[in-house]
Amino acid sequence: MTSQTFKHQVLVFALFVMASVSINAQQPCMQELIGQSLSKLQQPTPESFLNCIAEMKRIDAMFPDSIQPKHQIALQSLNFSVMNPHAPQTDNLLTEAEQTIMTMTQMKNADQSEICTLRGFLYMVRIVQNPAQNGQRYYIDVMQSFEKALKINPDNQLAKDLQHKFFEGMKQATGK
Amino acid sequence: MAVCSLSAQTTISGIVTDGHEPLVGTNVFIVGSIDGCLADSLGRFSFTTSKTGEVMLKATFIGYEDFSLTADVSQLTNLSIRMNEKAMTLNEVVVTASTFSFGKSENFKTMDALDVVMAGNSCGDIVAALQTLPGTQMVGESGKLYVRGGESDECQTFINGMHVLVPYSAETENTAVRGRFSPFLFKGINFSLGGYSGEYGQALSSVLPMETTDAATSDKFGVSASLVDWNVGGTKAFKNSSLSFNAALTSMGLYNSLFKERNDYFRPYRKLSGEAQYKKEFSTSSVLKSYIGYDLTSVGQRIDGRNLSLKEHNIYANVTYKTAIGHGYTLFTGIANSSVFSDIDNAKTVGDHYHNFRNEVHLKAEVRKSYSNVLKLSAGVEDYIRNSTLNYDIYHYQLDYNILSAHIDAQWRVIPRLFLNLSARTELMKSKWLVMPRATLSYIPNKHLQFSLVAGRYSQIAEDDYLAQSRNTLGQSTADHAILSMQYKTQTTLLRIEPYWKKYHDLPLLENGIYQSHGHGTSKGIDIFVEDHSFIKNLSTTLSYSFNDSKRLYLDYTEVQTPDYVSRHNLRLTAKYAVGKLIFGLAESYATGRHFPVGKTPHYNSVDVNLTYLLSPKVIVYSSLNNIFGRTNIFRYDGKGSPVMPSRDRFFYIGIFVSLKNNKAYDISNF
Repeated sequence: MTSQTFKHQVLVFALFVMASVSINAQQPCMQELIGQSLSKLQQPTPESFLNCIAEMKRIDAMFPDSIQPKHQIALQSLNFSVMNPHAPQTDNLLTEAEQTIMTMTQMKNADQSEICTLRGFLYMVRIVQNPAQNGQRYYIDVMQSFEKALKINPDNQLAKDLQHKFFEGMKQATGK
Repeated sequence: MAVCSLSAQTTISGIVTDGHEPLVGTNVFIVGSIDGCLADSLGRFSFTTSKTGEVMLKATFIGYEDFSLTADVSQLTNLSIRMNEKAMTLNEVVVTASTFSFGKSENFKTMDALDVVMAGNSCGDIVAALQTLPGTQMVGESGKLYVRGGESDECQTFINGMHVLVPYSAETENTAVRGRFSPFLFKGINFSLGGYSGEYGQALSSVLPMETTDAATSDKFGVSASLVDWNVGGTKAFKNSSLSFNAALTSMGLYNSLFKERNDYFRPYRKLSGEAQYKKEFSTSSVLKSYIGYDLTSVGQRIDGRNLSLKEHNIYANVTYKTAIGHGYTLFTGIANSSVFSDIDNAKTVGDHYHNFRNEVHLKAEVRKSYSNVLKLSAGVEDYIRNSTLNYDIYHYQLDYNILSAHIDAQWRVIPRLFLNLSARTELMKSKWLVMPRATLSYIPNKHLQFSLVAGRYSQIAEDDYLAQSRNTLGQSTADHAILSMQYKTQTTLLRIEPYWKKYHDLPLLENGIYQSHGHGTSKGIDIFVEDHSFIKNLSTTLSYSFNDSKRLYLDYTEVQTPDYVSRHNLRLTAKYAVGKLIFGLAESYATGRHFPVGKTPHYNSVDVNLTYLLSPKVIVYSSLNNIFGRTNIFRYDGKGSPVMPSRDRFFYIGIFVSLKNNKAYDISNF
């Protein structure tokens, strides 16, 4: 799970997710700002991820009732963490991602499928951080989160792709 | 310096610290815009903005209070920002005093069921696994949980908040029992060694609340086999619900024929179990859980020239429903029924017959509400309706009684870092009221340290046999707890030290042939627990030490004395090392001798090893060997002064767990 191949796959996938941000016509300003911020990830360095996350937090402060900036905060924090599992910022980012997911859960218009996907991704990053200890501990949680996400919304592409990546990573790890 | 926005005219700059150190990565920005930057490695920040006039500058960093400053943009240069650490809210704080939590309820888990099972010599038994924790006593001939100088029945088990009357399997005298429930049923196990809140009652010493897993998300089917038990289970997952079943046969027949033992069985121990669960999530805030389990236990043993034959039927069922009812209120309701039928032929003499039936209905309703980040309240009512019948030759009794109770519980953050949990529980039995205040005051200066002071009163009605011989004079026994808890925790190390003191009142005492509430006792001691993951990569170690000084006058005692189940010193050391697909476990258990009229037993010592091999993602092999050096431990002395020893010195276990339909690895639970 910590192999460079796996990280590279996740990075390519993260960029795909980044490029496929849905547009909400009711909040063009917010969408524009999110789009501008995400565009900086075309050079996906750790610094650009951290700046993107910081900008998403500023956008979230501007639109506190919107779920999309929160979704991006959690998603980009997890993207950074899966790429840099032992960076000094990672633990704080994971804590923030967990809190953001909790906040999203309590919002009325929350997409439960997206929330399950992010939760699965969060557990997945924990495994990447420490496969020996966390592999057996969080494996079930990752799988159940993605399964639940796809049960609620069978067309959730993010959940499908993350689940696929996770299976591939586990196959590499277990040699099966 | 961090990369900053470059599209505006006014430069904003400064430094951000916590008063001592720079806060690297602080997000500094102008509210209502995207203009801002992250503080660099020296805490410095500098960015430009197109805003003019009065603006609000904000700085945010996880774990710290947000900093805000409103000023004209031209004045925001060379700022010195000091951030204050954020006080934890009730939701962020888990007071750990006197409690060991396994599994995951809300936050990230530290141990899961698999860790529990692989601890020491548990052989998949949740009760045995918990005996590696401090505060528990080694009582080998019983196998039950004895906590901080208390009797085994002073520890009560709850599933999803509902009481379980008999949580252990049946066995003949002086043979260790096992817990009835698989750890894989549960997503959370909270073992409280005392000082618990008002929600739980009818337990003088400790409670073991366990929460079952959520509705399954995929179908499962699997089997497992060992020398002593065979298991088949499966789950059918629906859109928002799941239905599970499990069937297991435990038989010592094969094992007894392979390995010699001291006891003489004419019918080996057998247990046939069936369980089913249905869970439905109506919404994220409305969950129904139901469980039913049935055990038939049978064993026949030759003892003192007679053929003792034991049969027990144990049925337990519960249904709980939790839902949000608006305005931030959550309603919990539950009902549980326990029925146990025990029959023993040749129980004490040839030709006698013992029959016992015990039944309990537990009803419970509770309302919970979070008023703010600093106050949470809950209140509830419950009723225990019990009846039991015993027939032994000409001796007969029938008991019917109920215990009605109510509780209220408040969790309050008094000031930042200081938390108070106040609760009160009242119980009514036979027109006699008991009021029991309980309180936990916790000082939590940071995420590494916790100090708690716990005090409270707890109650429990005596066992049915004593009630029946009391001519209605026996009331509830009570125990006062006082506990000081100190915990230090880092990512790799946990240290907990807990001195405690307990005083028992109104214990059953045999006087003039009847039991009366004239017994009393004290128990004091200290528990120490250390868990470490830092010595070597993939190695985790634990140390549990308990000192207990307990004295009582109760039952048929004629003077105040140390109960015979108490060992003054108990020590457990465990180590678990993962290498590739192998996980090795090593455990050492030591306890000083116990006091009996004929003398003190020798100390108890056992070194156990276990090995888990992840053969493939769907196949796990687990094996263990208890007491590898074959020391003959003497648990106790019986009434004739003869030593009571384990049925065999060593116990070897090997089992294979196979998932047939499950797409998950490491999931040996198909239930």
